[in-house]
Amino acid sequence: MKLRIVKRLLEANERIAEENRRLLRENGVFTINLMSAPGAGKTSLLVRTIEALMDKVSIGVIEGDITGTDDAERIDALGVPVVQLNTEGACHLDAGMIREALEDIPLGGIELLFIENVGNLVCPAEFNVGEDVKAMVLSVTEGDDKPLKYPLMFRESGVLVINKTDLLPHTDVDMDKIRRSALSINPGLRIFEVSCRTGTGLTEWTDYLGALSVGTGMY
Amino acid sequence: MHEVSIAQSILDTAVAECLRADFRRINSISLRIGRSSGVNIPSLVTAFDIVKADTIAAGATLVCEEVPVRGHCLDCNSDFDAESELITSCPACNGARFRICGGRELDIMEIDVD
Repeated sequence: MKLRIVKRLLEANERIAEENRRLLRENGVFTINLMSAPGAGKTSLLVRTIEALMDKVSIGVIEGDITGTDDAERIDALGVPVVQLNTEGACHLDAGMIREALEDIPLGGIELLFIENVGNLVCPAEFNVGEDVKAMVLSVTEGDDKPLKYPLMFRESGVLVINKTDLLPHTDVDMDKIRRSALSINPGLRIFEVSCRTGTGLTEWTDYLGALSVGTGMY
Repeated sequence: MHEVSIAQSILDTAVAECLRADFRRINSISLRIGRSSGVNIPSLVTAFDIVKADTIAAGATLVCEEVPVRGHCLDCNSDFDAESELITSCPACNGARFRICGGRELDIMEIDVD
């Protein structure tokens, strides 16, 4: 006996992501889903960004890791609200995990929320969590072949932050190739070049974020 | 990498539908999987074989139909299939203005039950 059922499996995640998005927007929160491979510098970028913006914008952070609380401790030391999510093996954050974390964040007092996804260049790009924009970090030491090898994240992201530019003299990486291939996948991608270590390029990035979060009529 | 959790939700959905229609055993589950859904079919089949143990789907097989990436060109108005989302122009007219409109499906179509 055949039962015709037709169910979209990713529908449940999309539905919860939409609820999260509505809750965040009602509270005037602009949300950024920050993704990258492990070690590209997501947390360093967050620390630098918070230091630059915390006097002008109220910031909250959700930290996603497979295990451990190191990242949340680095953020907590700056005095901004942070929730650590441990996925216990899962390779990405999904909308249900974010829904739970949002219960522990004082949304009324936050204008800019960062969700630091699990370090992984593949799966996080496939799951919406209710963000306004996906931003990805690529460090120059990962190589200039990454956009064409991991196209989905480059396609899904609105912003690409290329980090560790202070290491360029020590690598053979072709920055122009990164830009060209990333833009061929996603012509609308906004690209920033930064070094979290030296601070080079961070002002352009933080100006961009500051403008987003203080209500530029984005929504 | 996330095929185990996807296999589990396929199983949960199929078992719920089977019991709701008052049947006792699942023989097969038919799926449509888009080529850019990010799901690796052999890994999904292996994961399903693990999660189905000791359930009413213990003897069930997955029947996976792979669906190509579909595009629609806004310049020449043609619909086309593609190997991946990684295309930069319409295969018919070479125009750059096109939409990807299929290829991420992950749908349960039907289940065979007794």
